Amino acid sequence: MAYELTIEPMGAKLEIEEGQTILDAALRAGIYIPNACGHGLCGTCKVQVLDGEIEHGQASSFALMDFERDEGMTLACCATLNSDVTIEAEIEEDADAEQIPVRDFPGTVSRIVDLTPTIKGVFIELDELIHFQAGQYIQFVVPGKGIERAFSLANPPSSTAREIEINVRIVAGGEGTTYIHNQLKVGDGVTVKGPYGRFFVHQSARKPLVFMAGGSGLSSPRSMILDLLNTDWSLPVILIYGHRNRAELYYHDEFVALAAKHQNFRYVPTLSDEPANSDWNGHRGYVHDAATATYPDGFVGNQAYLCGPPLMIDACINALMQGRLFEDDIYFEKFISAADAQQVRSPLFRKI
Amino acid sequence: MDMKATKKKLGIKERYAHMTRGLGWEPTYQPADAVFPYDKYEGIKIHDWDKWVDPFRLTMDAYWKYQGEKDRKLYAVIDAFAQNNGHLNITDARYLSAIKLFWQGVSPLENYVVQGFARAGRHFRGEASRVACQMQAVDELRHYQTQAHSISNYNKYYNGFHSQRHMWDRVWYLSVPKSFGEDALTAGPFEFLIAISFSFEYVLTNLLFVPFMSGAAYNGDMSTVTFGFSAQSDESRHMTLGIEAIKFLLEQDPANVPIVQGWIDKWFWRGSKVLALVGMMMDYMLPKRVMSWKEAWEIYAEENGGALFRDLARYGIRPPKGWADACEAKDHISHQVWLLFYEYGGAAAFHTWSLTNEELDWLSAKYPDSFDKYYRPRLEFLRDKHARGERVYQSTLPTLCTTCQIPLCFTEPGDPTKISHRETVYEDEKYVFCSVHCQEIFCNEPEKFVQSWLPVNQIYQGNCFNPDVDPTAPDFDPLKAVLEYFKYNLGRDNGEFEGSEDQRNFAMWRGQASKN
Repeated sequence: MAYELTIEPMGAKLEIEEGQTILDAALRAGIYIPNACGHGLCGTCKVQVLDGEIEHGQASSFALMDFERDEGMTLACCATLNSDVTIEAEIEEDADAEQIPVRDFPGTVSRIVDLTPTIKGVFIELDELIHFQAGQYIQFVVPGKGIERAFSLANPPSSTAREIEINVRIVAGGEGTTYIHNQLKVGDGVTVKGPYGRFFVHQSARKPLVFMAGGSGLSSPRSMILDLLNTDWSLPVILIYGHRNRAELYYHDEFVALAAKHQNFRYVPTLSDEPANSDWNGHRGYVHDAATATYPDGFVGNQAYLCGPPLMIDACINALMQGRLFEDDIYFEKFISAADAQQVRSPLFRKI
Repeated sequence: MDMKATKKKLGIKERYAHMTRGLGWEPTYQPADAVFPYDKYEGIKIHDWDKWVDPFRLTMDAYWKYQGEKDRKLYAVIDAFAQNNGHLNITDARYLSAIKLFWQGVSPLENYVVQGFARAGRHFRGEASRVACQMQAVDELRHYQTQAHSISNYNKYYNGFHSQRHMWDRVWYLSVPKSFGEDALTAGPFEFLIAISFSFEYVLTNLLFVPFMSGAAYNGDMSTVTFGFSAQSDESRHMTLGIEAIKFLLEQDPANVPIVQGWIDKWFWRGSKVLALVGMMMDYMLPKRVMSWKEAWEIYAEENGGALFRDLARYGIRPPKGWADACEAKDHISHQVWLLFYEYGGAAAFHTWSLTNEELDWLSAKYPDSFDKYYRPRLEFLRDKHARGERVYQSTLPTLCTTCQIPLCFTEPGDPTKISHRETVYEDEKYVFCSVHCQEIFCNEPEKFVQSWLPVNQIYQGNCFNPDVDPTAPDFDPLKAVLEYFKYNLGRDNGEFEGSEDQRNFAMWRGQASKN
């Protein structure tokens, strides 16, 4: 049976399966606990159990000492739960993180808009207002399918309306997105769960912000930027936003208008596969190329927020680091898939 | 009634801050540059020492508690091992040669690393880095001591374990790890950190530590394997220090990137040469083998190291210059080094032997691209000669590489039939190298490497005899005199395993333990 694991100091609550280790559950929930060997020998992932009963599993008696066991320490990579458990881990408390409990939100589809030939904007009027941080995502329960799909919220949280917006790209052969594109209609009753994720703007650092978005990865940056511009954020904000061609570039006019209205906001759209003879006079190339061109002196002093397909994220991190912006100032939503877990990774980076 | 105010317990992070940065101070009656005279001359630029991250956040007060309990557990096992004649549980007396090699050639390196970290722990300006280096210095001292105690039980029964400190400073093959350690010790504090914490503890440690400890586990050596467990929780901290050190240097200033790249090129290559000894141990000296050297290289160097250098590319760091050549050598070095030691078996303080057909078949299967073609015929030829009573011993001395100090036994990249040999003339003196990479290391720092103490050259110069020998005596045997200078017990420490005292004693004592 499943137990609830609470991770202090942030108070995150997650469900953990029988036999699943604390480390596995935490990493899958996007919570980084320092770790190295993965099987109880090195002691890197030591955490304090505050409440509840755990099994130490295969923890080595040299990596987890007797006196530490007496003091309630355990190794997250080996420990499993025998009850609901609260642990305290060495996690930097984040001044900008809000702890918002995850809930079910029933609602009704209010509008469906074709944003591009492959992306639909789906608007859902929730029965109750959802509180979330710009950049977070919800799980959309696909009606009658028994499956859930994650979508970032594209609207800013500062709105008081109960209507939320998600942007859904149709995935070839994808069960969830195919349903949303072909069968979902206005008036349907649906449920979303959330908010999830630890992707939000770290405003307390007071640094100029660069957003890099590609494909249908615009949702989070859009929510974040609208939220910033709605409030009293005065430092520079730049959005570098890429698509293949002009037809796919959605919300373009909205960002052009925002850039005209807000002195601290700059909008840099770029197209990677636009016909050479078209009337496009913006940047041509990938997002990371446009970013490097926009910051000829490098990215030092900024904070970067990335959203888009994995290859784009990877290319953008390379461009940022070559422009001397490092891990501490780079943020993106990371979804760890089963394939990622198999991949050999070096421990050089903690979160990127 | 008085109520005692309960003091709030400090969190790990707060305590760490108090016990590291909180211990530092700004010097007043001396300028900081005079207090820390060595952390600038290498060209490394540090703008903010507070960016140094130590994910373990271990402080000295907690440190003693951990190491105290580890020692109690380890020494309980060592005592039990001694009381129960644990040495008779090893697979075969040939395994002893692997432990002799570790004790003679690896343990003293721990002592060098103690000195290096103690020095780095004094000379870095940032308190967190100083504390991390000081703790590693104490760790390495503990490793040396616990290795001494784990292995000392073998010294009661078998040959070759005595006189370790004496041999370290004199014996030809021990000059390979010795010169490696001294090169690191005499470098600046940042180069030392990249050499030992990053290149060795991080990139290559799995190819040194893991093979010896798994070898101990596979071959019934409970004493050494328990030492391994007690050290492993330190090793993970050391590896992390290496990773944090390189990130810190690369992020602090773009001018650090090419300097660090040069050190990675140098120390990866130097490390890979030292590890040739480990390759030989894995493929030839373990009666029960763990995996082949080639397999270990593929997992730990190519796969894990490859992932690391893919990530480091983001900082503008490329894989080490010698990477491709070191990868190609995985098919050859263990065989080339074993053949070297077999033929110079009279001059090594451990035993060598002929392999059984079953063992040769194992190597044929593990090295399909090289073993049958280049090495099996030579090993069979030597075995046949031994069977005819003509055990081969080389008695002329080999040429040593000026940089890595290994005899010229490695072959050219792309041609495993041709010995690799390079020469450089520096100030009218000729210097010889085993490879283009060792040559380049010399050419980057000639004033350092012209001082190399090369055992073969020293022997020929007459510097390796005991003071009372008379080279003019008619019966003077120079080789024997050198081995006496090494403090070998001739005929017991060295030479062929078959018929050795170790082989006879082990068989006899095991027989006594298992029969009436």
